[in-house]
Amino acid sequence: MIASIAWKNVWRNKSRSLVVVFAITLGTIAGVFVAGMMNGWVAQRIDSVIYTELGHLKIQNPDYLINEESQYSLPDIDSILAFCETTPGLENYTTRSKIVSMATTAGGSTGVVLKGIIPEQEKRVSDVYLKILPNGGDYFETKSKLPPVVISGKTAEQLRIKNFKITQQVLDSLTRQEVPNELLEKLKPLIDTRFDTEKKFKPAVQKVWHPNEIRKHGPALMRTASYLKTRSKITFSFTKQDGQIGYQTFQVCGVYKTTNTMFDQMNAFVKQEDLAYATGMDMNQFHEISIVLPENTKDANLLKNRLAQKFGHLNVMTWKELAPDAGMMADFMDVYYYMIMGIIFFALAFGIINTMLMSILERIKELGMLMAIGMKKKKVFQMIMYETVFLTLTGSLIGMALGGLLIAITGTTGLNFSSVAEGFEAVGWAAIVYPSIETSFFIGVTFLVIIIGILASIIPAKKALKLKPVEALRIE
Amino acid sequence: MKVIEISNLHKTYSESELEVRAVDGITLDFEEGEFAAIVGPSGSGKTTLLNMIGGLDVPTSGEVLVGGSLMSELKDSELTDFRLNNIGFVFQAYNLIPVLTVKENTEFVMRLQGKKDEECEKRSNELLKAVGLEERINARPVKLSGGQQQRVAVARALAAKPKFVLADEPTANLDSKSTETLLEIMERLNREENITFIFSTHDARVVKKARRIITLEDGKIINDVRKNGGE
Repeated sequence: MIASIAWKNVWRNKSRSLVVVFAITLGTIAGVFVAGMMNGWVAQRIDSVIYTELGHLKIQNPDYLINEESQYSLPDIDSILAFCETTPGLENYTTRSKIVSMATTAGGSTGVVLKGIIPEQEKRVSDVYLKILPNGGDYFETKSKLPPVVISGKTAEQLRIKNFKITQQVLDSLTRQEVPNELLEKLKPLIDTRFDTEKKFKPAVQKVWHPNEIRKHGPALMRTASYLKTRSKITFSFTKQDGQIGYQTFQVCGVYKTTNTMFDQMNAFVKQEDLAYATGMDMNQFHEISIVLPENTKDANLLKNRLAQKFGHLNVMTWKELAPDAGMMADFMDVYYYMIMGIIFFALAFGIINTMLMSILERIKELGMLMAIGMKKKKVFQMIMYETVFLTLTGSLIGMALGGLLIAITGTTGLNFSSVAEGFEAVGWAAIVYPSIETSFFIGVTFLVIIIGILASIIPAKKALKLKPVEALRIE
Repeated sequence: MKVIEISNLHKTYSESELEVRAVDGITLDFEEGEFAAIVGPSGSGKTTLLNMIGGLDVPTSGEVLVGGSLMSELKDSELTDFRLNNIGFVFQAYNLIPVLTVKENTEFVMRLQGKKDEECEKRSNELLKAVGLEERINARPVKLSGGQQQRVAVARALAAKPKFVLADEPTANLDSKSTETLLEIMERLNREENITFIFSTHDARVVKKARRIITLEDGKIINDVRKNGGE
């Protein structure tokens, strides 16, 4: 009965309650959406850390961690691989050889880590093979005379094997991307001229397009007009197994791009056998084993301990240890989301308290009457508490529904932060975010709202409890 | 049988340096089933006396024994319980709960007592029929006339079958016809359910119906008359 009266009391002054409900709804939408966006980002980052960059577990020679020299490879590799093959959860592994090298072309040079992989095995652990750029070749599929290498778009830029050319196809594609025809007309004098670098291409565009037009349509033009010179040759220099400097020319077979520019800048992939041949390493000389756990075995620590027990002389690390930033996010983001919601509701609580105080002041006589006819103070408190919780809950439930809907929509379409993508991707964050949120978050927020509602009811309820029925009844 | 015993009751209010003796040494008792009116001019202490009988106000000195309970010995929550289970209140301004319907208002006290749905329903139907509002059970107070609202207040006061009904100026805001109807209802319920009714009033129509008239002046009883069968 008390709850029913409280609900009716909430709607006594409809416009006042609706203003508060509206404010709570907006606050909740904002909080839920920000949490959803952060969660989507973090989920994408963790996904990228595990399924692109690191895997769940990595086994290395402890000496290699101190000094990344090719001689510090994994000892007794056969028994490690046999253990992985026979232990449930460890079947998805890949072996890699690594060597630090300098990549050089006629256009430039850059330092990269050459990773010697077995492509089919690598696909079980890392999805780099799915990140090959459009017109960026393939992942070790085309046969070539020279050993193939897969490099990143960033490395391609640094080595100047990325060109810019405006062709009729480029103009057609820009039309589809809704670039106005008059701007495309202005680009016509540049048709079929090849620009070796972005530095040369940009001034040419600046001559025909206004800065505002470049700001609006420049990214689309840069993206569409660039093309990668796959089949380019890159010479890598490195320290061979015998301590001598070695050289090997590889031919670009594919160009990839992940959401982490740092990873892209650092890693180039070649076949393990080619790397072994070039550096003088043994065919079964590996520097790391990366493992991705099956969907139902997410406890990396458990398997880490099993591996560490069996191979005490090796270094086994989980992805959280290898990428502590992502690990910390995975562990603490939930707390962070609740903090966002907590801060929003804390601010809203003042409005709620104010509304409830007004509501109490308006019905002092009625509260006095209720106490006079036998309503205990506990029940009066309960009634005011319910009123506050209902008011808060109404706004937040509507807000959660709308926020959830917004997340569902943007979670499918994605939010494009391409205009600032370079900044995001430089630190490993995706430029297109797909907001997502767990159902448990909504349950948690509901509890949070109830707690905030209860806390916000204390001041108005105390005000009501101080009333003396005889005095309250005298008020006109 | 005496159900209310008041002895040497005083209530003094201090307003700045002025001391107001609202009730000044009243000794009084009520028998079970009385239909009594406390009359007197404004400021004579009628409402204060009624509030002290109902445990809403605390005497400065003296004792009030209601239904065997010494009011001054009861704690705040015990007093609330006592009022809930023994006293029905009717106020001058009706004081119904605006968000509840006529039926819900009538059942309110029974619900506070934790009575079952069927019992609440039966009693409220019976009382609303008795006060002539069986057609308006789903109306909100705002849709009723003053007289109808006060009839709901009477039904609410009687719903939990109290031993006493304390009515503070119940007819002050009513027209003659409504007053007549209300008094008839209260008189009938007083007879049928043997509930003690005490009114504070200066309405001649109430005085006419009352079977006992206690006249106050300056917080003192100046007259206490019992009539035979009222009128």
